[in-house]
Amino acid sequence: MKVPRSVVLQIFVIAVFAIIIVRLFYLQMIDNTYKQNANNNVLRYEVQNPPRGEIFDRNGEYIVQSKEVYDLMMIPKDVKEFDTLLLCSIVGEPIEDIRIKIDKAKRHSWRQGQVILEQLPKEVKIKLDERSFPGFYTVYRTLRSYPRKIAGNLLGYIGKADQRALDRDPYYKSGDYIGKTGIELAFEDILRGDKGVKINMVDVHGVVKGSYANGMYDTLAKPGTAITCTIDAELQAFAEELFEGKVGSIVAIEPSTGEILLSHSSPSYDPDEMVGREVNKNFPRLNSDPRKPFFNRAVMSVYPPGSVFKIVNGLIGLEEGVLKPEYKYPCARGYTGGRGVACHNHTSPLNLTDAIKSSCNAYFCYVLKNVLENRKYGSVKDGFDVWEKYVRSFGFGRKLDSDFPEERNGMVPTRELYDKNYRGSWNAFTVISLSIGQGELGVSPLQMANLSATIANRGYYYIPHVVKKIHDRDSIDARFYEPHYTMVDPKHFEPMVEGMWRAVHRPEGTAQIAEVPGLDICGKTGTAQNPHGADHSTFLCFAPRDNPKIAISVYVEHGRWGGTSAAPIASLIVEKYLTGKISRPELVEYVKNMQIAYPYYDRQRTK
Amino acid sequence: MTGRGLNRIQSPTIDWVAILVYLALVVIGWFNIFAAVHDDAGLSSFSISSRYGMQLIWMGITMCVAVVIMLLDERFYHMFAYPAYFIGVGVLLLVLIAGKEVNGAKAWIEISPSLSLQPGEFAKFTTALAVARYMSRYSFSITDFRELVSLAVIMGIPPIIIVLQKDAGSALVYTSFLLMLYREGLNGWVPVFFFAFVALFFTSIVMEPLTVLILIILACVIGESVRNGFWKQKIIYLAALALATIIIYFILSLITGGQVSVYLILLICSILSLVAVVVYAYRKRLRNVYMFVALFLVSIIFAPSVDYVFDNIVQPHQRDRILVVVSDEVDLKKEGYNYNQSLIAIGSGGFAGKGFLQGTQTQFNFVPEQSTDFIFCTVGEEWGFLGSTIVVSLFCILILRLMKMGERQRDPFGRVYCYSVAGIFFMHTAINIGMTIGIVPVIGIPLPFFSYGGSSFLAFSILFFVALRLDAGKRELMRT
Repeated sequence: MKVPRSVVLQIFVIAVFAIIIVRLFYLQMIDNTYKQNANNNVLRYEVQNPPRGEIFDRNGEYIVQSKEVYDLMMIPKDVKEFDTLLLCSIVGEPIEDIRIKIDKAKRHSWRQGQVILEQLPKEVKIKLDERSFPGFYTVYRTLRSYPRKIAGNLLGYIGKADQRALDRDPYYKSGDYIGKTGIELAFEDILRGDKGVKINMVDVHGVVKGSYANGMYDTLAKPGTAITCTIDAELQAFAEELFEGKVGSIVAIEPSTGEILLSHSSPSYDPDEMVGREVNKNFPRLNSDPRKPFFNRAVMSVYPPGSVFKIVNGLIGLEEGVLKPEYKYPCARGYTGGRGVACHNHTSPLNLTDAIKSSCNAYFCYVLKNVLENRKYGSVKDGFDVWEKYVRSFGFGRKLDSDFPEERNGMVPTRELYDKNYRGSWNAFTVISLSIGQGELGVSPLQMANLSATIANRGYYYIPHVVKKIHDRDSIDARFYEPHYTMVDPKHFEPMVEGMWRAVHRPEGTAQIAEVPGLDICGKTGTAQNPHGADHSTFLCFAPRDNPKIAISVYVEHGRWGGTSAAPIASLIVEKYLTGKISRPELVEYVKNMQIAYPYYDRQRTK
Repeated sequence: MTGRGLNRIQSPTIDWVAILVYLALVVIGWFNIFAAVHDDAGLSSFSISSRYGMQLIWMGITMCVAVVIMLLDERFYHMFAYPAYFIGVGVLLLVLIAGKEVNGAKAWIEISPSLSLQPGEFAKFTTALAVARYMSRYSFSITDFRELVSLAVIMGIPPIIIVLQKDAGSALVYTSFLLMLYREGLNGWVPVFFFAFVALFFTSIVMEPLTVLILIILACVIGESVRNGFWKQKIIYLAALALATIIIYFILSLITGGQVSVYLILLICSILSLVAVVVYAYRKRLRNVYMFVALFLVSIIFAPSVDYVFDNIVQPHQRDRILVVVSDEVDLKKEGYNYNQSLIAIGSGGFAGKGFLQGTQTQFNFVPEQSTDFIFCTVGEEWGFLGSTIVVSLFCILILRLMKMGERQRDPFGRVYCYSVAGIFFMHTAINIGMTIGIVPVIGIPLPFFSYGGSSFLAFSILFFVALRLDAGKRELMRT
């Protein structure tokens, strides 16, 4: 053989070591999966939950606070023998339940930290820290607490993020809390804050051995930003007291800013019931209540506006020139055109302001007929288009673009709707009930309160909103600072305001019960017919007449006439807001003792 | 050749390159043991009772032994070879009876509760000496079959006892003598067949029997053609074999209407065809064809028996270790855990490594047995490709150096011994590093000078220093 065997052997040895080096090159320089796997082995990302932002009322009073709670965790592997009885007595749970939970955790994983008990109060945590239970530890979380237990539907509640939220936003991890309704939902991004992360290194047994890179990549949790809302907690609490036992809603707005001073939907719920370990019991009970405490009637309910809408029709008539304040129309207990519209007994004929005062049905039938049959538009249908545009300019038939999520459009009929319903053949008489706010009209209490504010401002409104200040920003969204004018000239509002003033202050006024001497309340009652039972009682008012500070819409479902139930509530709220006290305790008693039957809801309950 | 005297044992006669490489490996090895065992408390908690402390003590003992080795006359080793061998075998037998069991292998002898020795490590040394002594006899001839049998007995007794101790990995190291035997003129086909059968072993585990059979036929036919030519006949032979298989397959399918094994048909056809092969060999007077026929017969028996042995005789944990390397369907949390964590440790090292004591796999004990068999993971993770390459290169240099020492020897005793040591080092290094980087099944043998363990450290050092002493002695003589 030519090549000496010693050389063959040398080549062989070198070749084998070359293979090893090539393999090392591949593993260490080319294939990156191992670096990742090494990190997966050793790095543990410990999330630091931020406290959720608090919510204040307009006067700086807490209405939502964050309360610290602790989840009791356990790592089965590290658990030594311990006094189970002592642990149970500290956390206040039966020993059997704890045993079951510990066994479950042990079966699930021997080395991972797992939740044994959720949401323990701080006192319990301190007691646990005093004794040592190896293998047990606590994790910080924040929960909501409500010092005044008010405004459940407006504030909304938080709950565990569902799968859709987890898929949509990587911020959320299983077990995280997220705003589900109300302000908690609308301002979720602001209230939730930023999570921090602490990167730990663990050994092969999962035991933490220290922080990664001396904490260089750790981040601190940034607490959620606090919010000041426009609600007056005192007023809200009073409204909730007055509505006890009734179904309905009240919305009050500051006309000069559009800030919502109170928003209550009755029945409501104690927001504390939607917090903590009792939620699992409370939620199904509340959710199946036939009176629907989770349904925020203030913005979600769509009612007929009733007589209150006469103001809108009057304003349209004035702007269109088919009505002058001094025009008088006869009323012989009703309007006789078409199929006729009945009216109550009052002096006749009346001019515009007195027609508002007495809420004459016939008067506004004439007004609407004149608007629709206006010669300059050629046909009733074209006239109807004009009327519809006016109505929409008051914020009806669409969302007002407020800052909370559950708003509804309501409904304003269109020419197409009637063409469809009446196969093209209809006239002013067909739609005459629109004149008194009945028929195909649907409005939310918020839209009605906005109408009240518009009248108070004599022709414009600011978009109603519930958040006054976000604590790390100079201003809220620009859309809330911009006045929205209706298509009616401000000069036409004065006769309406006069009519509303007279309704409260003059004989034959429909809302004399609402009068408070010196406050100059202007109001308009409404009685909304509906298919579910007795008429809804509605009342719309603002005060004082000049420079109004508060505009209100009240709906009491099945409360009959506007003057019987809605007006007294509104009057008390205005007085409370403007003077800070109640001069008519007997009226408060009257409102509280008012008995209203709700066969429609309660029939469902017995089913 | 120079004026220097015979009696002056001077520094230039010692191979300083080998010494430096050895010292470098020892120092690097110790730091890696330190990294593998040390806890997060850092250097302040230096403890002599810990593994790195113990290793330091063993290194001290080893240096004393090394000095003694260097001072002894080289003729002593020649003289000492057989007695040492018999003492070694005796101690191995003693261990088999009264040994201590560690990790399933009864390979340890307990001197005191804190001190156990593994005689198997030293048996490699005594065997190497005995083999060198035997092969340096004047009458020895490597082509003599009876001499080879005697040699096989000398080399075979220690590994058989070690296998009985259930330490198959350590026994496997004795195949490294093949390297030395090849150098000494063993028939070149022996190592070729050795590797061929190793390859056949793994192929039989991974591939279908039919594929393996086709490969065996092709290998034998091509091998024979390379030796003897007559390519045309071989192609006709293969075509006939294929055609016969296909025809029989169709006929049998038609008759039985069921499933017929192609593997069995081809097997029977190829065995029957051996008649034609024998006639061909007889006519052409080609004696070496009979060797290929024998090889073929051995292979077709060997291949199916691999499956049988693998499934029924090989222990489950050893089966897993082999499957981990050759198969993709392995549970990385169970049988593939070591393999996977070892690859993660080395793979995550990158170019320059994570730095001394910064390896997360190492420091947080993700790799089992890291201070002993998997010590190379520490090198790979904390020193990266750069460090690994340096260590691998140092081993390569050391082995080449030992082979060079062997070539420098005048008489066969030293040459055989040096090549034996080179072979042992090569086997340990290639298998140990190979298993940590996932190209060799997990075989629990230490990495010389790196793996924690006093016995192996001392034994490897003795192997090395005796080679160094023999080398120095020969160079002295050359200068006279």
